[in-house]
Amino acid sequence: MKTKSNLKNIVNKNQIPLGPFHPLLEEAEYFNITVDGETVVDIDMDTGWMHRGHEFISEQKTFTQSIYLVERICGICSTSHPLACVHAVEDVDNIEIPLRGRYIRTLVGELERIHSHLLWVGLAGHFIGYDTVWMWAWKYREPVLQMFEIISGNRNHYGMLRVGGVGKDVDPASVPELNKILDTLDKKMDMIAKIANDDPVLRSRLVNVGILSKKDAIDFCAVGPTSRASGVRGDIRKDEPTDAYDLVDFNEIITKNGDVYDKFVVRVLETLESIKICRQCLNKLKIIDGPILNNVKEISAGEGIGRYEAPRGEVFHYVRTDGTNRPIRHKVRAPSYNNIPTFQASCKGIPIADALITLAGVDPCYCCTERAIRVTDKNNKKNNIDLLKLSRDKTSNIRGNF
Amino acid sequence: MADYQEFINEMGSKIKVEIKKKRRLYFQVKNDDILEIIDHLFNKMGCRLSTATATETYNGVEALYHFSDDKTGNYYCPRVVMKDKENPEMNSITPIVKGAEWIEREMAEWWGIKFIGHPRPIPLLSRNHPKAPNKPMRCGR
Repeated sequence: MKTKSNLKNIVNKNQIPLGPFHPLLEEAEYFNITVDGETVVDIDMDTGWMHRGHEFISEQKTFTQSIYLVERICGICSTSHPLACVHAVEDVDNIEIPLRGRYIRTLVGELERIHSHLLWVGLAGHFIGYDTVWMWAWKYREPVLQMFEIISGNRNHYGMLRVGGVGKDVDPASVPELNKILDTLDKKMDMIAKIANDDPVLRSRLVNVGILSKKDAIDFCAVGPTSRASGVRGDIRKDEPTDAYDLVDFNEIITKNGDVYDKFVVRVLETLESIKICRQCLNKLKIIDGPILNNVKEISAGEGIGRYEAPRGEVFHYVRTDGTNRPIRHKVRAPSYNNIPTFQASCKGIPIADALITLAGVDPCYCCTERAIRVTDKNNKKNNIDLLKLSRDKTSNIRGNF
Repeated sequence: MADYQEFINEMGSKIKVEIKKKRRLYFQVKNDDILEIIDHLFNKMGCRLSTATATETYNGVEALYHFSDDKTGNYYCPRVVMKDKENPEMNSITPIVKGAEWIEREMAEWWGIKFIGHPRPIPLLSRNHPKAPNKPMRCGR
């Protein structure tokens, strides 16, 4: 029997489909957001829109071919996946890496972190309607891509990694130029850190928005900046230092509040730490000589786990080998796989205008396809609500108050 | 390697160690004991579930969980082997580790493993798919 209060619930609760194609989302994914008035009361996810069968394909490839395959899982993390993959293969036989190769791996991994975090900072600014942050962050990301071009010849998909070391050396003559770019970047990142601290509009939109508690971060097994912003300690670079991470000095950034602002702060401060690591690597590459690749003839039968602290958190690869030149099982787990389910905790109870930045807060990658969003209520009435517009309008209103 | 010793001493009667090397411990667990082992790893030792891997071998279908102890950098990998290849089933760890929901749904969908006690046993990747694949990773290895 429909009581008056039940009827009120039915009328008030609307379903807002987000996706499967939307500029917010890293890949095509579908979120069904239930709202009561302006408040999000539930969120459901439907994945599988971009499934490409990488694990299955990898089992048909040799170890070297697999590195190129996993490099293409994600355009932003095109060092993290192959690094975790080679770590897994090297873990089977405990293969040693030459010192120069270790520093080059660390340098490329940290440059990736800088450009990925700057990409997110820019997009976060765009989503809340603060396009100055967007333009600045992406402007300062460009020199990092130029550094990649100097080092590897490519702005993306660098093809640097091999089992046993790296495939390309860093030209010592390019080190002064790379250091010069880092000096400029350092000053600009300091400026962005000050903006994060001082800007009242940014704070109004991000502080206490989309809070992920420490308990929820642990329960959902969240990783990377998503969990560190909630006060959970855990950084693969510190916990299991591979490559040159045990030879460089850097700090693990942890904050307590778990809101989007803390995720912003963690990423900006991590960028500064990454610049520090890159400088140390470049200084060492000037003085360390020697091979960059340990010639690995064969991989014996066994099991190996490889992981790397990607910009979004721990990338995990597992390989099982039978003594041939290809894996019989290759498991890949990207950090977003653990971080996306945290929406169930962080999105409930927040206004719909803040849902967009909360969903973006875990830094899923973004694709460039936007699709109109359709809202259907229980009476099958269809309205068009643009979440991006709602979010940007909210900032515009806040800005008017200052 | 010494770091594992405490765990092995405590759980020794319920685990069968398969591979023990630097920072990695792979061990086999019976389905009846898996929840107790997971509870010990997750709640008592504070380990984090990285993910889980299902594999089909000559012995049956395996589910291998990967628990990371972030304090020491060690990995604890309990493995459950289901010998009935036609109808593999095991206890779900999702009631203990919320973060296992997606990976168990994925393993159920791709390998046909039935997870008993899973709170939301629906396909992860082919939900609402017009022609959902049937155990696509089971290729008769």
